[in-house]
This record gives sequence, C-alpha cells and structure tokens, in this order.
Amino acid sequence: MKALMYLTKRSFVNSIKKAVKKPVTLIALIFGVAYGIFLFAMLAGLAVGVRFNSSSGLVIIMTLWAIYITLSNFMMYSSRKGVIFRPAHTHFVFTAPINPKLILLHGAWMNYVFSVIVWIILAVAGLTVFQVEPWKVGLFFLAGCVLETVLEVSVMVTIYANDRLPEKLMKGICRGIKILLIAITIVIVLYFRKEGISMESARGFIDWKGLQIFPVVGWSIAVYRLILLGPDMLNIVCSILYMLTVFFMAGLAVKMDCGGGYYEDAAKFADDYADMKKRKKNGEMVMGIEKKKKKFRKISETIQASGAKAIFYRQLLEYKKEKYFIFSKISVFCLFFGVFFAYAMRKNAIESGYPQMFLLGMAAYISLVMTGYLGKWENELKTPYLFMIPDSAFKKLWYSTLIEHIKALVDGSLLCIPMGFFWKIQPVYVILCILIYTALQANRMYTKVIAQCLVGDVLGKTGQNLVRACIQMTVLGMGAIVAVLIGIFVNMNLIFPILLIYSIMVTVAVGLLASLRFGSMEQLT
Amino acid sequence: MLEIQGLSKKYGKHLAVDQVNLSVPDGKIGILLGPNGAGKSTIIKSIAGLLRYQGMIKIQGNPAKTLEAKKQFAYVPEIPAMFDALTVREHIEYMRRAYDSTITDGEVEELLKRFELDDKQEKLGNELSKGMMQKVSICCALCVHPKVILLDEPMVGLDPKAIKELKEVILELKEQNVTVLISTHMLEMVEDIWDIMFVMEKSHIIGAYRKEDVGNKDLDDLFFELTGGEKE
Repeated sequence: MKALMYLTKRSFVNSIKKAVKKPVTLIALIFGVAYGIFLFAMLAGLAVGVRFNSSSGLVIIMTLWAIYITLSNFMMYSSRKGVIFRPAHTHFVFTAPINPKLILLHGAWMNYVFSVIVWIILAVAGLTVFQVEPWKVGLFFLAGCVLETVLEVSVMVTIYANDRLPEKLMKGICRGIKILLIAITIVIVLYFRKEGISMESARGFIDWKGLQIFPVVGWSIAVYRLILLGPDMLNIVCSILYMLTVFFMAGLAVKMDCGGGYYEDAAKFADDYADMKKRKKNGEMVMGIEKKKKKFRKISETIQASGAKAIFYRQLLEYKKEKYFIFSKISVFCLFFGVFFAYAMRKNAIESGYPQMFLLGMAAYISLVMTGYLGKWENELKTPYLFMIPDSAFKKLWYSTLIEHIKALVDGSLLCIPMGFFWKIQPVYVILCILIYTALQANRMYTKVIAQCLVGDVLGKTGQNLVRACIQMTVLGMGAIVAVLIGIFVNMNLIFPILLIYSIMVTVAVGLLASLRFGSMEQLT
Repeated sequence: MLEIQGLSKKYGKHLAVDQVNLSVPDGKIGILLGPNGAGKSTIIKSIAGLLRYQGMIKIQGNPAKTLEAKKQFAYVPEIPAMFDALTVREHIEYMRRAYDSTITDGEVEELLKRFELDDKQEKLGNELSKGMMQKVSICCALCVHPKVILLDEPMVGLDPKAIKELKEVILELKEQNVTVLISTHMLEMVEDIWDIMFVMEKSHIIGAYRKEDVGNKDLDDLFFELTGGEKE
C-alpha cells in the first residue's frame, strides 16, 4: 500500500507543479469552477421557480439519482469498466507484489473523490435550496456518502475480484441492467405523458410504493425518504434491508479471495481509455471508450490518378471500403435534427412568413456546433507522404479536403431538405442553404488549419478551437451583418446569394492561407 | 527457476497458446523465438500475471500469481508505459517500495549511469522518448533484484550502446544465478548469450534446443530449420 500511496502522492504533487507552470490549466480550472457555481445557481433558481425547493423535491432528485446513477455504476462494474487504470498500471502495478484487491481499491480513488464532491454539493443544496433541517442534512450526507460508497466499493470488489463468476453471467447482468434502465425510462416517459409534467405528478410517481420495494436501489430510496420525509412502516423496513445489504456486501468483499484475474480486463480497458484520451486530445468527438474494430468491404479497384489528385482517389477508395461509404454519425445527426426541427419548429417557421430564414439559422447553427468532427483530411497532415507528393500546396489542400466538401454537401442536404419540405420553402432557397452549409463547413476546416498554425501546441486543442471559432465568427459575422442589412434595406431575397458568394469568397481566401500548411511538415512540430 | 506446464490461453474462440510446456533453470538465459502471432506475447503476459489462463506457471517454485512469486520476478514489456506525472527517479522509488527492494541509492545511481539516465532523473514520464522509456523500464526491473526476469523485445528502440550494456547486464544476471527469459525477433542480438531456445509457431512450441547440444550451429540456422523458412 505504501508504494501505491507514494504513487498517488507524487503524481498529485507533480501534476499541481505542472499546472502552476501552465497558466492554461489554471484558467481552465477557474472557468470550470465558475461554470459549476453558475450551473448550481441556475438549477437552484429553476428548482425555486417550479416549486421544487422542499424536502419532497430533494427526494425526487434522489430517487432519479438512485435509479440511474446507482444502476449505471453497477452496470459499469459488471462489465469491469468502472475503475480507470492506465497502461502504466499494467506495466508497473499489476505485475508488482501488491494485493490485487488493494490495487483495485486504490485504482478507484477518483470514484471516491467524485462521490464525496457530489454528496457535498447535495448537502449544500439540501441546506440552501431544499430548506432541509441541518440535522437531517447531516444524516442524509452520512447515509449517502458513507453507506452508498461502502455499497459501491463492495459491489466493485465483489464483481472485479470474483474470478469464478462466468463471463456469460457478467454479460447477462450488464445486459439485464441496461434493459431495466430502458424499461424504467419508458415507464417514466409514459407516466408523465399521461399525467403531465408537474410537481404533483412527479410526487405521485415518486410516492408509488412499489419503487421502494425494488431490491437495493428501492431500498436506498427508502433510506432517503426515511431521513427527509419522516418514518413510515415501509421506509423503515426497506431501510433496514438496505443496511443489512450494505453490511452483507461489505463482509463479502472483505472475505473474497482475489488472484488478479481482473487484470486482463483492466489492462484492455486501460489501453482503450488511453486511446480514447488520445483521440479526444486530437479534437475528435468521442462517443464511447471502446473503439470497435472496423470491418472493411473488399473493393478491387486501383488508384489511377497522379499527383495531389491521388490523395482524393485514395480517400475515395477508403470510403468505398467502409460499411456506410461517406455516411457517418454526423449524417445520422443531420438527418435526425433535420426531421426533428422540421416537426418541432414547423408552426413557428411557417407563421413567421420567413421560414427560409429559420432554415438558414439552423444550418448555420448546426455547422458551428459540429466542431468535434474529424474527417480523413486531418490525418493527411500527420503523415510525411503528403508533403513528399510533387504537387502544389494548394492542390494538396484541395484534394485532401475535396471529399469532405462532398460529405458536407450530402449532410447539408440531409439537414435542409426535411425542413425545406415540411416548412414549404422554395427549392431554390433550400439549395442555396445547402451550399451555404457546405461553404461554412469548408470554412471551418480551413480556419482550423490556420488556428493550428497560429497557436501550435501552446494552448492545446481547446485553445486552437477557441481561436478558430473567433476567426470564423469574426469573418463570417461581418458577412452576415452586411447580408442582413442589405436584406432589410434593399431586398430580403438578396440575403441568401450574398451570404453564399461571401462565404465562398472568404473560404477560398482562408483556403489559400491554409494551403501554406501543406507546404512543409515542420510548422507544427 | 521458471516453469510452465500445460499453458493454454483462448481469446474468445481463438486459441492463442495451446498446451505449452517450458522451463528455464536458475542461472540460464532462455530465448523465446517465433514469427508474429505465434503466441509469444501471450506466454509472456501470462507469466507476468496479466492474463487468465489454464495450466500452471511457477516462479522459484511459487505459483506465478502469488505475492511470493511476484516479489522475485521482474518484467520488461515490449511497449513501456510510464506514469505521466512521475519522474524517472520516482519510478525507481515506486519500484523500491512496491518490492521492498534492498537496492541502495548508490546502486540506483550506478544503474542509471549505465543506461545514461543519470542526467534525466527529474524528467517526467510523458517527457521521455520511446528509447528512454525502454531504458527506464529496464532499470525499474533491475532495481528489484529479481530472481527471474522476463524481457519482451527488450532491444527495440535502444541505441547501440544501451544494447551492449543490456547484454552485459543479462550476462551479469546469469552469473548471479538469475533466470532470464527473453522474447525477441532479433536473433543476432541474442546469438551470443542464449543457453536454451524455444521456438514457437501457431500457438505451440515446435522445438527447444540447449546450446551445449548444438555446438557451434548458428541461431538462425536452428530457427529456420524448425520454422521451414529460409535464411536471408
């Protein structure tokens, strides 16, 4: 244990030292804390606004917490993914003569810290927002922070350490919890659809007795009810059952032998997690920790183009080998939002008399939101082959990004056509809107390259994105203001063509600047 | 001594290692050879206790997963992974504490000097090049005074001086009666140091030789005789 304590202590001290030297980390931390306080204040205001600021309100929150967070934690542990280890743990810790159970307990220290922070926030909220008496808050904090953490740790140890539980059973438990969560969500949605969203309907749902009888999760809800709302026969019995469960699980965890069988899963998870962090650092929009191995189709085709054009045809060949060709999660996202907003905003858009303006706004918004998307073009800059192709830098830039423009055109169509159709917009405006979306996406790509050149690694990916957003908003914002002014004072029909021509001109100019980056590899390294 | 009996390991339906038996006595250098995908890394990871497996692995007579076995065992993985926020010296200090090692500060200094890390002691894990990480990984393994040491492709990424130093260290370990098992593709690197060789192919050990039994025969000749390939 002393080695693990040393490891944590030194890592913490060195990280603090590093953060102090790097002002960006400190600024991000300050912003993070400020944002957290702002969020807390906003939610507190909301709770007061909807008359949620009573013990009952806190019970509703705790019920949802118990259902979703506790069950999700159990699910993570049952797939042996709830504790974050790093590849260095595989190298230096799993092979060391340290009890595997201790390693597990130590590995989950972030979970404990997170848990304590959440319970402090809940206790503060209990005192200030929900107006609960201090002694009840004290008990509530103890019950939550201590009992729930002990139960969580016991479940974690029991599941991780038990080498005898068959893999199929573990997968079954995980799947069962997932199905249960989905079923609970459907029940909640159906209930509120029937009863309407109000404090009374929420209370009606939470007061349903069956909820407290539900093993473990329901019993924990009973404890919160006992403390916050006062005793009744049901919550007393269920609370006793919960306490017995916690003691039983803790005893089981202490007694359980552990030979380190979980190292195999933990090492795999550590690699996946490190890979996810790396992808995230590169600015990629990461949906999950595990990256599934891609399967490719067999295509018997050769690249016949030469010079920079070969980059485009190589990318095209790669996309042809992919399962869904150029269609990605972004395409699904665009189609979903296209259909969703077409339905949700139909009335407002049509009644305004200018549905095309709504469409333009949505296209611009979605284009700006998609900052985390990486295409194949960004990987081009990481390989030396691009720079060795005997062709001009601008051609390399154009052919590296051409397929992304085609993709943007397709995604833009998926986004704009449903809205155009349902809002009865003239086809010419829909086409112009799709083209503007494509130009905005191209602009984003090229501005990103410029931001990389300007900022380099000094401010990291976040800094690069911030600079990119500033450049893009300034440049495009000027065009948008001009277009709107002309639209108001001259003719509304001119807004679309002006915006399109302006954004194409700006994008070409930014592209020319960005092409410098394709001349030499040295600039970023 | 390192003993493996009836080791089998499956990844899903794929049998990566099938009924492998091998043993390396005290004070001997074993080398594990084989083409890519033969199952060498799976054996190495099983010995290091990183995988679930069927069969028996013993280190100095103790089952490999026990703490007694781990105390006497050191591992240098193929791809070293450092703690980002720990310095080189702190990595060594962590190992000292984890293994209750009796290594003195002077010996640590000497070790770091041998691998040209003495001036990089304050560098953090994420500031090291791949070669330097490999050197730190080797130093960490050596600082616990192991009785059995496992080296997975230890020469990859090392500069010529470090390779020379590592070979000398391995021979010194042999003199100290330490059991060494090296998994490698680089036959020329282990040509002059091996005592026992094991050749793997398609999840099985297809042959084993003792140096004293093969006389002056080349390592690559022996390897290609078994695997059916041709020496370049």
